Amino acid sequence: MTAASQLAQVRSVAAGGSAAAFVLLCIMTGIYAVHEPSALSAFGISNLLNNTVVLALAASGLTLVVLCGELDLSGPGVMAIGNVVVATTSTGSLGATGNLAAVLAIGAAVGGLNGFLVAYLGLQSLAVSLGSLIVCQGVALLILPAPGGEVTDTIVQAVSGDIRAIPAPALIMAVTAGLWLLLKHSRLGVALYAVGADEPSARLSGLNTRTTKLSAFVMSGIVYAIAGFVLSAEIGSGDPRVSDSFLLFMYAAVAIGGTSLGGGRGGVLGTLVGACILSVLQKMLFALGVADFYTNIFNGVIMILAIFFGQLSAWLARARHRGQG
Amino acid sequence: MDVAAPPLLAFRSVCKRYGATTALDDVSFELQPAKVCGLLGENGAGKSTLVKVLSGVVAPDTGTIRIDGKPFLPRVIADARARRVSTAFQELSLVPALSVAVNLFLPRPAINRFGLVSTRRIEADAEQVLQQHGVTDISPSALVGDLPLGMRQKVEIVRAFSHRPAVLLLDEPTAALSDRQWLFSLIARALRDRTSILYISHKLDEIRALCSRCVILRNGRKVLDSEVAALSDDAIFSSMAGRSVGEVFVRASTEIRRGAKPVLEVTHLKGSGIDDIGFSVAPGEIVGVAGLEGQGQSRLFKALVGLSPLQTGAIAIEGVTVAIRSPRAARRLGVILVPEERKSEGLFTGLTTMANISLPVINQASRLHLVNQASERRLVETVTPAVKLPERYLRLSISALSGGNQQKAILARALLAGAKCLLLFDPTRGVDVGAKQHIYAMMRGFVRGGGAILFYSTELDELVGLCDRCLVLYRGAIAGELARVELSQDVILALASGHSGGRTRRANPQAHA
Amino acid sequence: MRMRKARALPRAKVVPEAPPVWRPAVGPDLVPALLVFAATGLLVVGMMLASPSFGSFDQLTAILVTAIFLVVASFGQGLVILLGGIDLSLGVVIGIGGMMVAGLTRGSNDALMSAIPLTLLSCAGIGLINGIGVGLAKLPPFITTLSSGITFFGVALGITAGSSQQPVAPALQTFMNSGWLGLPYPILFTVAFVAAAWLFQNRSAEGRKLYAIGSSPGAARVLGLPVAALTIAAYAISGLCAGLTGILLAGYAASATLDMGSALLMPSIAAVVIGGARVTGGSGPYLGTFAGALFLSTLSTVITALSFSQGLRDIVQGGIILIALLLQSGRLNLRHHRWRWAHHQQGGGLT
Repeated sequence: MTAASQLAQVRSVAAGGSAAAFVLLCIMTGIYAVHEPSALSAFGISNLLNNTVVLALAASGLTLVVLCGELDLSGPGVMAIGNVVVATTSTGSLGATGNLAAVLAIGAAVGGLNGFLVAYLGLQSLAVSLGSLIVCQGVALLILPAPGGEVTDTIVQAVSGDIRAIPAPALIMAVTAGLWLLLKHSRLGVALYAVGADEPSARLSGLNTRTTKLSAFVMSGIVYAIAGFVLSAEIGSGDPRVSDSFLLFMYAAVAIGGTSLGGGRGGVLGTLVGACILSVLQKMLFALGVADFYTNIFNGVIMILAIFFGQLSAWLARARHRGQG
Repeated sequence: MDVAAPPLLAFRSVCKRYGATTALDDVSFELQPAKVCGLLGENGAGKSTLVKVLSGVVAPDTGTIRIDGKPFLPRVIADARARRVSTAFQELSLVPALSVAVNLFLPRPAINRFGLVSTRRIEADAEQVLQQHGVTDISPSALVGDLPLGMRQKVEIVRAFSHRPAVLLLDEPTAALSDRQWLFSLIARALRDRTSILYISHKLDEIRALCSRCVILRNGRKVLDSEVAALSDDAIFSSMAGRSVGEVFVRASTEIRRGAKPVLEVTHLKGSGIDDIGFSVAPGEIVGVAGLEGQGQSRLFKALVGLSPLQTGAIAIEGVTVAIRSPRAARRLGVILVPEERKSEGLFTGLTTMANISLPVINQASRLHLVNQASERRLVETVTPAVKLPERYLRLSISALSGGNQQKAILARALLAGAKCLLLFDPTRGVDVGAKQHIYAMMRGFVRGGGAILFYSTELDELVGLCDRCLVLYRGAIAGELARVELSQDVILALASGHSGGRTRRANPQAHA
Repeated sequence: MRMRKARALPRAKVVPEAPPVWRPAVGPDLVPALLVFAATGLLVVGMMLASPSFGSFDQLTAILVTAIFLVVASFGQGLVILLGGIDLSLGVVIGIGGMMVAGLTRGSNDALMSAIPLTLLSCAGIGLINGIGVGLAKLPPFITTLSSGITFFGVALGITAGSSQQPVAPALQTFMNSGWLGLPYPILFTVAFVAAAWLFQNRSAEGRKLYAIGSSPGAARVLGLPVAALTIAAYAISGLCAGLTGILLAGYAASATLDMGSALLMPSIAAVVIGGARVTGGSGPYLGTFAGALFLSTLSTVITALSFSQGLRDIVQGGIILIALLLQSGRLNLRHHRWRWAHHQQGGGLT
């Protein structure tokens, strides 16, 4: 086999999962657009992006942890703290950037704690993140026991308005995608994949698995914090329980996008597509006239089917590539 | 030997304990530059721990190591590499999901001016490295996980050599290699660079060919340290095991029951990795399977228990044609596989040894689905004598046992499950010499009782010593079938490498490896 | 360096095995469970010292009674975790169980005899669907159970047309609120349940197989254990337990709402983890799960008695989980170290 054909095969394998997701996205967008003519207008797309960006960010953060082979339930907790902090202090003296910095610091701290417990003490990530999720939810409730607070217009405009005629959410997602590509091709990115795919071998090859996992958790904590910040801008006030429903959708976005929940395979690009699929799903169901309480059912069923589809196509791509052995 | 020259590596009084077990007990030796030192010992002797200590994977409890007179205390692999100690591990340290190129340069693949890893550049660099080490058949962009084991071992070895180390550790480097000369020439070149090599192997011919000195470990202690040329094979063997070579393979008379229906008969099997295989195993017969890595043997064994798909072909058990769709179905028919990967496919690490053995028949020891420990023990003790597994191990967690005893437990389980035909895939890999003897004895006892064994091994002397017949696989088909009288290591090797002789079947040129 | 001649060497003895790194069915594995029991005791004693009104016999029995819900729910969750999975639909199924038994009996005893089996069967059916998804279709348990939870929540919402409260059969309420020979029925029930659960998980052939599959799924496949069937069974049992919990909750509270089980989901996982089981499966005796459930129920009562706000409650509960994990990490690190090292040994033993 020539180097070029090998390369092509490698690429097709990597793309297997997320390519299938992209196709699904196009199909669903098509169905949506057929039933709702304004879907593809500037307003429609902008609206869609507004609905998607928080989930996209949260799920991207989760992707980083999942790639290195761990699980993380604490996302909604960090988002909740971020949200209530902004809602309670944004009209104060910190200013928008101060707010953002504070929220990022909190996210990094929670991520750092999770990462330390998992990477350096060897605790199980599911259990640790469960604990920190509950603690974070408690902290959010302490800061703001009931929905309220206020988010200044500066922040709201910055995040959900337009920046030179481009919707801010689109920019945010584009920047996320760009940063991901930089990470993916950096040494840390290679280390993430290596540790997720085969931790003992990664260690024997000289990689520092502990700092790799810690970095993944810290980065994801920061991204969750950003998601919480953007969420505040979207809803304009604080609600300590608003992020509770995100957990399922975060994992769904990750899995639909082709990232393996066992680690070592996938990426943020697929997750972004997955998040878009979920948003379009809601819109599509609405446009098709599906009654409100059926949406839950459809959500659940279609999610399972989409995940099944995503895992299946990734598996098929690998089987095709592997041939006989 | 130049006694006056200071050693490159001095390993002094190193001890390593794991809980109550001593893995290394006051071990000392030295390595000289530009020389190869062999390290021998059965499994359980401490070789791998020694490699781990030197590579920085584990830290010793006591003792000192010095390189060029300066203390050497690696805590991680990077520390060892910094002092130019490089290792090719027995359990390969490559990440299967990444490409050859990335693996070669882990943990620090080259970055361009933006700080990003450039795939093109590292693949070009990798191509160079591979060529410099005489490898032309591996593509740098291939995923390591897609390469057969032999090629993966090559990559592992090339990586270790490419660091141009001062001290090179090679742990069982030829286990999966089909071309040993390639390695030997790399070694010769490294020696010219004044590299000091520690060569771990249990193959005496390699030790003799390469090493000037050898160190033998037993039970964590060094029992021998001398020039290789001065030692006889028997001396080496006895130091390792306390037994002489002659005792290893005692040719027993054949146990084959003439005229009985074959226990296992396979005709025209075709599937992924298998191309038109047919053979039969009579009761009382041990049929060996030989072949280099990736020639279809793994697929064949898996297919016989329904773990690998078959396209066409027939399998008959005791004359009755059956379709084996799952290992459960195979077990009911008496066909049981003892798999290649003991740790991930053979053992139940969370259970005790007794529980491991009794698992397939646990319902027999249960009344109303509740396990009766006394009945369980009675059941298990019907088979442990056959494999010489001491009683006291039964209540221990199976992870506490040595590889040899673990394998015995797996074999005991197969016996207890009512095996008529045992499919053994490299059963003595990672098994110490003592346990090997017991396993051979068990095999002979099994066939004496009318059972049949199909047995794949990478150790040619096992095949020559144990089998009544030997099938040699090449490219998914049978390249030859050798009767006992024709069995010899050279003939098997020749067929396995694709050189067909007189009345052997030609491998189908359309077959893919 | 002396070279030894072959003849001078003594006959090699059989390599002595390591004195045990043993994990038999009882023993070191129970240590976390015992520690948690001790912690529960400390908690109660502490509360009694701190607040004299706490600690009457009635209050203690009340704690035990309210523990029944978590005990029942965490058994099913524990079986699923034993296989390396997780059941995130537990909370929803509890709610469905409660609503169903309430809706079928509608405040009278007439239909109770058929309502209970019907409810249990339906909830087990949901578990069955989860099990089929995980065991046959090989979907990731996390998402499968989370999605099915949401789906069935939607179904239930549609069927009940959103109405939230239902009255429950009086017999059920009596059962939950009265007793026999001074001991409340729920406590007797708990004793019987714990005994049955322990027998199943740690003494039955099927339980043994669950441990086997959880600790080594590859080996289970090669040996031909009925992995799919047992997976489906475990999830079905989890659904059954959730339904049972819902029925008991409905009787205790004298009414049922659809989301009355959601507060039990995380604690059910936490109980299993605190008791010493690994989330990756294959280990952890039932006694540990029971100890965890008892502890968390007691903790919940104590927190209520101390009038903590919801936020503080969450912080305490989350903190307890982290502390329990940290305490176990001493033993865990040891095992982790051995496992990690053992991973590199072909022999799996100590070389």
